[in-house]
Amino acid sequence: MLRIERLSAGYSAKPVLNDVSINVGAGQFVAIVGPNGAGKTTLFKTISGIVKPSGGAITFDGVDLLAVPPPQRAHLGIAHVPEGRQVFPSLTVMENLEMGAMTESGRRDWQANIERIFEWLPVLKERRDQFAGTMSGGQQQMLAIGRGLASSPKLLMLDEPSMGLAPSTADFIFERLIEIRRQSGLTMLLVEQRVAEALESADHGYVLEAGHVVLEGNNATLRADDRVRKAYLGM
Amino acid sequence: MEGFLQALAAGLLIGAVYGLMCVGLGLIFGVMRVINFAHGDFMMLGMYTAFYLFTAAGIQTLFGNAVGPFVAILLAGPVLALFGYFVHRALISHVSGTRTASLEGEGHYAQLILTLGIALILQNGGLIVFGSVLASIRTPLSSSAWELGPFFDMSIFLNKARSIDMIVSLAIMVFLSLLITRTRIGKSLRAAADNPTAATYMGIDVDRAHRTAFALGCGITAIAGGLLATNYPFHPFVGLEYVIVMYAGVVLGGMGSIIGAFWGGMTIGLVQQMSTLILPTQLQNAAIFAVFLLIIFFRPQGFFGRMVERT
Repeated sequence: MLRIERLSAGYSAKPVLNDVSINVGAGQFVAIVGPNGAGKTTLFKTISGIVKPSGGAITFDGVDLLAVPPPQRAHLGIAHVPEGRQVFPSLTVMENLEMGAMTESGRRDWQANIERIFEWLPVLKERRDQFAGTMSGGQQQMLAIGRGLASSPKLLMLDEPSMGLAPSTADFIFERLIEIRRQSGLTMLLVEQRVAEALESADHGYVLEAGHVVLEGNNATLRADDRVRKAYLGM
Repeated sequence: MEGFLQALAAGLLIGAVYGLMCVGLGLIFGVMRVINFAHGDFMMLGMYTAFYLFTAAGIQTLFGNAVGPFVAILLAGPVLALFGYFVHRALISHVSGTRTASLEGEGHYAQLILTLGIALILQNGGLIVFGSVLASIRTPLSSSAWELGPFFDMSIFLNKARSIDMIVSLAIMVFLSLLITRTRIGKSLRAAADNPTAATYMGIDVDRAHRTAFALGCGITAIAGGLLATNYPFHPFVGLEYVIVMYAGVVLGGMGSIIGAFWGGMTIGLVQQMSTLILPTQLQNAAIFAVFLLIIFFRPQGFFGRMVERT
């Protein structure tokens, strides 16, 4: 579904991503793990078009994504749940969800989507008329996920959904994501620093270090790998 | 007491029009974070557009001297909105929006010079095209009044033209707030203002949202200018007199708050009229800024401003 080939990108002269190749198949749950500054967020921003790549190719569903203007990419079926949540603070919860549903498919499926989102993330239903800026970090994260789901995406990209949250809240959000995927079969691409949880729930994983893919494999291979065990799983 | 009530009424009437004028600028600033120094001159163009639509485009003969001016003024709105749309497309978009989002200071220096340049061109171009003779949109309503009362042997006189100006302003404000709060376009404008990057992730074309806001802001201020022109004569440099009031109103209301800008403008109108009770007319503007400083001293974020900046 999403094919990234030999992608290089960066800010001005400093490259952040070097020759990165990543594949996400339809229905897969793929995790990208790695330390701070490895280029995970830059990778997502390049997919969404906020950062321009210096080389390489990205195709989504057979479409050359780099030829598509950034705001049009959401309309192809890519939902980006950004790092640090980035909900619209002066809009209510409901209005935030409506912004997620700006795409044609999101508008068409609005009624069904909103029911499922409220079922998966009931706190959004309780607080539907509250301004997003006044909610807690965990609630905002759930709103950001709900906003992504409201577009009826083909691919849900999650950038560090556990960032800045209490461990118990982060656990709850992971548990919700796994439940959402179990029920919807949605294709997901997750970037995460909580390596153990990310690798546990994903089908396939990539380890990104200093802008390079240093390791890839399915869930079992990665968790058995010595380097991963030592560096990330603390074993 | 009678003088006080009369000044209060006059302040409310003029304040509503000032409010509308400030909302035009506030919309542009709130959505785009662009400081548009040419906004007073867009308003001047709105005044002349209404003037020529009324006198030269047949509206005077078609609608007469009482209704005609207001038809012309309302039509000047879309004309200036279209003008603003093309100014944004040709000039402003090159120094704002996604093109400059990653630059230091988000392109504010270039915006400053560009809008000041547009202001100079409009002022001097206006001088060449319109001449330096004072113009005004004459209506018989400008020099007649409705009498309210008498209450306890006091009567308040409401200038008819100014009263209609206020009603038109309020009607446009209601329309605009519905647009901003209820419609998909309005919500996407607010989303683009809150967080342009996240708005792009939602599939909102931020540059197009900016163009919409800019056009809308120009159109609204043009209508406010036309309304003011039914009572105040104007000339090609009139924008300078009003742009300061506009900025004061937007800051008072709270930078970024569109509804706040209306109340900011209203406050300025009230202060201006009430100050005539105790101060000579020449000091009206000084009084405005004394009160402005006082309010900002106690409430630096303005009436409706948020202390938390956008992320």
